[in-house]
Amino acid sequence: MPATIELSGLEVHLGGRKILHGLNATLDSRAIGLLGPNGAGKSTLILTLLGFHRPSGGTARVLGLDIQAQSGSLRPLVGYMPENDAFIARMSGIRFVRYFGEISGLPAAVALERAHQTFVWIGLGEARYRALGTYSQGMKQLAKLAQAIVHGPRLLILDEPTNGLDPAGRKRLVGLIREIRDTTDAHLLISSHLLHDVEETCDEVLILREGRVAGTCNLAEERRANRQILELELAGAGRGPAGSEPPSADAEFRATLETLGCACAASGRGRWKVTLPAGLGVREVYRAASELGVLIERLSHRRDSLEDIFMNAMDQAR
Amino acid sequence: MAVYKRRYDPYRGRLTERWRRWSVLTRFALRELFASRFFLGFFLACWIPVLAFSGYVFVANSEVVRSLLSLASRTLQLRVEASFFIRATQIQGFFAFLLATWAGPALVAGDLTNGALPLFLSRPFRRGEYVFGKFAVLGILLSSITWIPALGLFFLEAGLSPEPWLGAHRWLLAPIVWSSLVWVVLLGMVALAASAWVRWRIVAMGAIFGLFLIPAGLGAVLNATLGTKWGQLLDLTYLFHEVVNAGFRESASFGPAVPLWAAWGTLALVSAAALELVLKRLRAFDVVRG
Repeated sequence: MPATIELSGLEVHLGGRKILHGLNATLDSRAIGLLGPNGAGKSTLILTLLGFHRPSGGTARVLGLDIQAQSGSLRPLVGYMPENDAFIARMSGIRFVRYFGEISGLPAAVALERAHQTFVWIGLGEARYRALGTYSQGMKQLAKLAQAIVHGPRLLILDEPTNGLDPAGRKRLVGLIREIRDTTDAHLLISSHLLHDVEETCDEVLILREGRVAGTCNLAEERRANRQILELELAGAGRGPAGSEPPSADAEFRATLETLGCACAASGRGRWKVTLPAGLGVREVYRAASELGVLIERLSHRRDSLEDIFMNAMDQAR
Repeated sequence: MAVYKRRYDPYRGRLTERWRRWSVLTRFALRELFASRFFLGFFLACWIPVLAFSGYVFVANSEVVRSLLSLASRTLQLRVEASFFIRATQIQGFFAFLLATWAGPALVAGDLTNGALPLFLSRPFRRGEYVFGKFAVLGILLSSITWIPALGLFFLEAGLSPEPWLGAHRWLLAPIVWSSLVWVVLLGMVALAASAWVRWRIVAMGAIFGLFLIPAGLGAVLNATLGTKWGQLLDLTYLFHEVVNAGFRESASFGPAVPLWAAWGTLALVSAAALELVLKRLRAFDVVRG
């Protein structure tokens, strides 16, 4: 089974500037999130995978097919929902989706039937005969999704799918994406800067920063591992400002926790995030603190959120 | 698969052949054009001269009708020769110009205005197929009022003529077809280029008129001031007429002639430049340099 997306030293130059700097990653989950701040290169990567930009170095494979040499075989397998407005204002919704269904290769009768089915499924059944130019922003997003899935692609690429949607619209669209993920064998590549959307819909994330891979994370494994994460706030005299050297007892405490297999990260002014290994309980943490005379002022449990993973990746890439 | 089933289903059925998917664009665009009653009326009006030419052919070949209309065959020579087809080609060429100016500007602009182009190009569909599909709309429309009815007139004359007309005039078939095709290609490409670069329909229509009228006027000024004949190269309508006349082995009846190769070359150059302009505009995404 080939990886969904495989990047090998992928480089892209646009307008005389290097936008993607030798990306390397192998992503084989069903639903992949592409994260990064604005200008990180998410859309450029998507457009390169679609064959709109020619790599200046390296290669990429999607569903096992080379994006350059085998683009003819790849394109029929892909459905694409662009970030920006993409519609034909004078066409009715149903005609628009049928049109792109036929261009994708569906026979006319099948395209019409699937266009109706898709429109009903995305919840725009009542508006399908209205011209797209009269649709609200949320309806246009849904119509873009409809044209991307009408031909039943094996890989669905969604670029900022929840852009410009109100909370209800966002919830609806996220629900549809999850339904595609859960009820079909289609793969998803979702680019977003909204971490919550990616967390809800994806199994794996690729984090980009300034055109470089800042990190990858298999969210599904993270969820399965269900690792315990503690947030600690230590009390004690002589604690300096954020960024200064910690007092020696604190440093000793950290070293002890690391000996026990914990991963510790300071998040400023005596606040630590500690990831416990399997089999280690909170009691051992208290015991170590007690033995070293470190006073724990506050301790709370939490699961590592995508936001933590993202912020960590951003910090490490800096 | 049924519409009432509210779920998303993958499609694993048969796909249409790739080579003919451009025809989807043509079919949808033609249906959209003919949905307008005004356009349908205009298209039918383009056939009025063809009906008049058909009547001419009928009268020219019917002694009975001529006598009923009191047309003395001695004083009025009704002949269906090369000059008849030149006139038919030129008049229908004018209507083709009006039709292209009406139908062309919306063809590409509608897809570009709201960024729909990436939706085409992310599919197994090339820019060339897109241009061909859109050009075919104009190709079909303009052909249906130019060389196709002209061929009909040719065979009507061949059928009605009491003399062995067909054998002596078989050579007319080639110029009937290609002289109109030259015009169809030129008009189609210019209309697509205007549609690709000008968002507003009325401005695009003006641009097409301008391309045919303004350089022609400029050419006339050049001819008058410089005492040359090369200004005619800026008059696309004149060049078309010259090519038609040459094809039908008739000499031009007006204006100073430019060499035939120059007329052909200019028409080909303008068509190629218009195609290049269309292709230049058809990009999924613009790259900002800097």
